[in-house]
Amino acid sequence: MGLFTRTKEKVPCTVEVSHRFESLHAHVRFNNGAVVYPGDEVLVHGAPVLAAYGEVIVEDRTATITRATPLERLWTRMTGDFGFMELCEFSFSEEVRL
Amino acid sequence: MNATPMDLYPENPDADLIVEPTVDTTAMATETTLLNPRFYTTDFDEMDRLDVTPIRAEWDKLIAQMKSDPNKGHFKKTEAWDKVDWASMDPALRREFIDFLVSSCTAEFSGCVLYKEMKRRGSNPDICELFSYMARDEARHAGFINDALREAGVAVNLGFLTKAKKYTYFRPKFIYYATYLSEKIGYARYITIFRHLEAHPEQRFHPIFKWFKEWCNDEFSHGEAFALIMKTDPKLTTSFVNKLWIKFFLTAVYSTMWVRDHARPEFHKALGVEISWYDQEVFRKTSTIARQIFPMELDIDHPRWIPNLERMNRTFIAMDAAKRQGGIAGKLKGWALGAKAALTFASLYTIPAKRHALPASVRLEPTY
Repeated sequence: MGLFTRTKEKVPCTVEVSHRFESLHAHVRFNNGAVVYPGDEVLVHGAPVLAAYGEVIVEDRTATITRATPLERLWTRMTGDFGFMELCEFSFSEEVRL
Repeated sequence: MNATPMDLYPENPDADLIVEPTVDTTAMATETTLLNPRFYTTDFDEMDRLDVTPIRAEWDKLIAQMKSDPNKGHFKKTEAWDKVDWASMDPALRREFIDFLVSSCTAEFSGCVLYKEMKRRGSNPDICELFSYMARDEARHAGFINDALREAGVAVNLGFLTKAKKYTYFRPKFIYYATYLSEKIGYARYITIFRHLEAHPEQRFHPIFKWFKEWCNDEFSHGEAFALIMKTDPKLTTSFVNKLWIKFFLTAVYSTMWVRDHARPEFHKALGVEISWYDQEVFRKTSTIARQIFPMELDIDHPRWIPNLERMNRTFIAMDAAKRQGGIAGKLKGWALGAKAALTFASLYTIPAKRHALPASVRLEPTY
């Protein structure tokens, strides 16, 4: 892998979307054990998974992982921490005026 | 945790809340809001090396409590869930309250994504078990808020899954500091509103506030778990550099909370809560709780504290106006105000902290 080239991987994945009262969640699992690293981008192919209320959808899909270049990875590791405020919960959005 | 959509949806650069009309089979006017969680990675190997042996007894007790799932039956709608008259709600209040529900739902949802990812990527059974319970709680909270949104005619759209997602990175210790603080501050925020409404039930304009007590107990115990994790490595809370980080996190989180709460006047007016009083009260409770693990607390009674928070708030309002003004003049103004915000932050950060010795045992129970 060159310093400036991005590689792409196609991986089989399972998406699970739960749109129920008991649980609202959505997850993607890579079935071949692929691992995502800082700066990588993941795109799940196909139509949006739209679970109606009360529904849980589990589907096998294909995803493309676009690997970050070593420079991008380094940059993400160095600067990702600056976004730490996103980990904090404040009840309200950051908009000053709605 | 709070999610911003910038990286995920570059085509919608300023929309946290994307509201678009949709056709609803019930023929009720419905809005759709796209949930935009963030996706993170961290140093999973470092997290796997966490060893809870030094605090094993406290750890096992907390995990057993989470496993028993004391709030399993709590998040159900009972007859205590009064009918909400959305139609006659003041539009300004409705806007702020929807912002509250959507932001809270996104926060719970992002927490669920983060915790689930840690559970999946980790190989340390103690840590994986903890994160599976926390993911469960967050998904349950998100589902509960989502239901309240549906009642208001707002539907969440989980279509983000099939859009390109970029994974950012946080060091594990940043996750510990930020999520610990976030969970504890969440507890303090919810319990303060809950106790206020116990005394003033006539101000309870929506039934969801009745559920805040048990809800915030979940937040409290999540915070306990992060306190125990930090306790496994004393350097995390006692080294010189890490103490500077902790103070930085406290200052950043408290001042952000101040600015955001003051931007939502109608919500607080409807509850009958004076915002500055409320925020100071939340800081006080959070600081008292955080003595369990942080070796210092911010001096929120210092003469420089409130004046600088107020200055920060004015600066943010002016920055927003400059952004809306646009053009070169708006940009220049924005930069100048950004510098002013940084100086104000520095003034808050340099207020001497109150130091104290750390207790031998970390664990606390929610008592407010």
